[in-house]
Amino acid sequence: MEVIKTSNIHKVYNPNKIPVHALNGVDLSIEQGEFTAIVGPSGSGKTTLLNIIGGLDSPSEGTVMIDQTDISQLSDNQLIDFRKEKIGFVFQAYNLIPVLTAEENVSFVMLLQKVNKDQRLERARELLKAVGLADKMQKRPSELSGGQQQRVAVARALASKPTFVLADEPTANLDSKSSTDLLDIMAQLNQEENITFIFSTHDQRVIDRARRIVTLVDGKIDSDEEQEV
Amino acid sequence: MIPLLAWRNIWRNPTRSVVVILAIGLGIWAAMFMSGFATGMAQSYIDNAISDRVSHLQIHHPEYAKDKDAQFTVGPAGQVGSYLERQASGAHYSPRTLVSGMIASSKASRGIQVVGIKAAREAAVTGLGEKIIEGEYFASDRKNSLLISSRMADKLDAKIRSRLVLTFQDMNRDITSAAFRVSGIFESGNNAYDDAYVFVRQTDLQRLIRTEEASRPVHEIAIYLEEAQEVDRLQAALQNQFPNTLVENYRQIAPDVQLYESMIGSVSMIYLAIIMLALVFGIVNTMLMAVLERVKELGMLMAIGMNKVRVFFMIVLETVFLSLVGAPLGMLLGWASIAYVGEYGLDLSAFSSTMKMYGLSQVVYFEVDPSLYGQVAVAVTLTAITASIYPALKAIRLKPVEAIRKI
Repeated sequence: MEVIKTSNIHKVYNPNKIPVHALNGVDLSIEQGEFTAIVGPSGSGKTTLLNIIGGLDSPSEGTVMIDQTDISQLSDNQLIDFRKEKIGFVFQAYNLIPVLTAEENVSFVMLLQKVNKDQRLERARELLKAVGLADKMQKRPSELSGGQQQRVAVARALASKPTFVLADEPTANLDSKSSTDLLDIMAQLNQEENITFIFSTHDQRVIDRARRIVTLVDGKIDSDEEQEV
Repeated sequence: MIPLLAWRNIWRNPTRSVVVILAIGLGIWAAMFMSGFATGMAQSYIDNAISDRVSHLQIHHPEYAKDKDAQFTVGPAGQVGSYLERQASGAHYSPRTLVSGMIASSKASRGIQVVGIKAAREAAVTGLGEKIIEGEYFASDRKNSLLISSRMADKLDAKIRSRLVLTFQDMNRDITSAAFRVSGIFESGNNAYDDAYVFVRQTDLQRLIRTEEASRPVHEIAIYLEEAQEVDRLQAALQNQFPNTLVENYRQIAPDVQLYESMIGSVSMIYLAIIMLALVFGIVNTMLMAVLERVKELGMLMAIGMNKVRVFFMIVLETVFLSLVGAPLGMLLGWASIAYVGEYGLDLSAFSSTMKMYGLSQVVYFEVDPSLYGQVAVAVTLTAITASIYPALKAIRLKPVEAIRKI
């Protein structure tokens, strides 16, 4: 089943001054359950593409269909609701809420979805267990290592039961072991629960684990290949 | 969880939050303290005016206020006295005979109001006997005794036993003069009053101005009530009982007292408004800093699905929490300091000449209307909400993609 379909996406920054063409007609289709890495040199448009797929930015031209909805037609408030229900985010710099514990960080998205307290807690604990943090649930981000924080971020991304998870260079700030652990967890969730993951990355370890690699160069898809893992 | 999040957010930077809480607390304390001071001063002026000169009620001939002619007398004071005894416990009255005239010594002369009093009754109404600083308060039976203020004595170069001549119109409008001997010198604490009034025995004055028709003329009956809240009821009852007279309360007699009385509430509100206005800017500054240093985090919250209403609400709550911690602190401090100064007073005798000039006591006892605490609570909440609007708008105007730079 197709969860993401972009058609002829263009993105131009500063159109009236010095235009910067970040994306130049990107057509991309992603199916349910994919484990896809978007790669390319700096300035190739990876982050812009992820921002647009994530509903955080709008294309200058073209359409983005997520679960049969054209998100380029949604208002700001509709987009916020859409992101809350459909998309899980893992940010490069962890971006947890520093004053909440790991458990509260994970349940926060479910609170926004108005899930009742018992269910919130149960799922938050389940997810933290799944990412190997059963003993760190009551710790605040400042009491966790970078790798542990990023695992909390993965648990939070999954808490809302999203259609897919977008992760922008999720291993960029992690050491080798933490990166491997995080990738193991995401690969396991992908295989066992058929969760769709889309990464932008420079990290060869991530690229090696991806089953599909989309390479962007100068805002266009240069290659789109599948690989055996 | 949003209230919890807001509460924890304010303790991210405890130093900054404590500074704002202290600013709010001290602001509220200052507003209450100033309000207590202003109310105490105004109340001191009102109390002094009532106890020293105006009394709670005064009865005159209806025409007397327009034209202070000696012919406009009120009926026998005894009838008012017996009515008061039946109607109001704790009411004291003093019948007065009044004439305007001149007082002259060998050195100088002044325009004055001569007040003929019954010594014991006047003492019960204005406490004049307690204000004698030299000589005596009509203690001997000697005729034509006179009480003047120390300021008047200085101006006339008079002292105890000095002979002074009073000149005024009698009830036939003929000029009459009589020599009086100073038997006592008083200080009321109000310069304007001291410069305007001299006191003689009522019988002496009546003898000098009377006619065959009015052998014991009385122009004014001043009534002092131990229960001040009885004023309006008793005024109506007296007016009803003595329809040919004009019964006025202290507000009608002395507009300055009414002005002070009406000022009490508004002055408190003005102090509160000025301090809250200053606090708004302090709180806006702090909350703006709190928002701007969390731009990335706020962007992340909106990226993961926290809508603008919730972000707005969270910032408003953070501000309200800060204020609600500071407010009780300030109110407690305010209450304690007002209670202390209310009990022991603030001694302003260093400014005694100014205080006397304005009819104020030298020791001011602070007090506030209990409703001020409610007004402060409402004002702080409104201030917090007002101050939170700009930072909260700033927060919701953030574009998640710009705030977090990249997902």
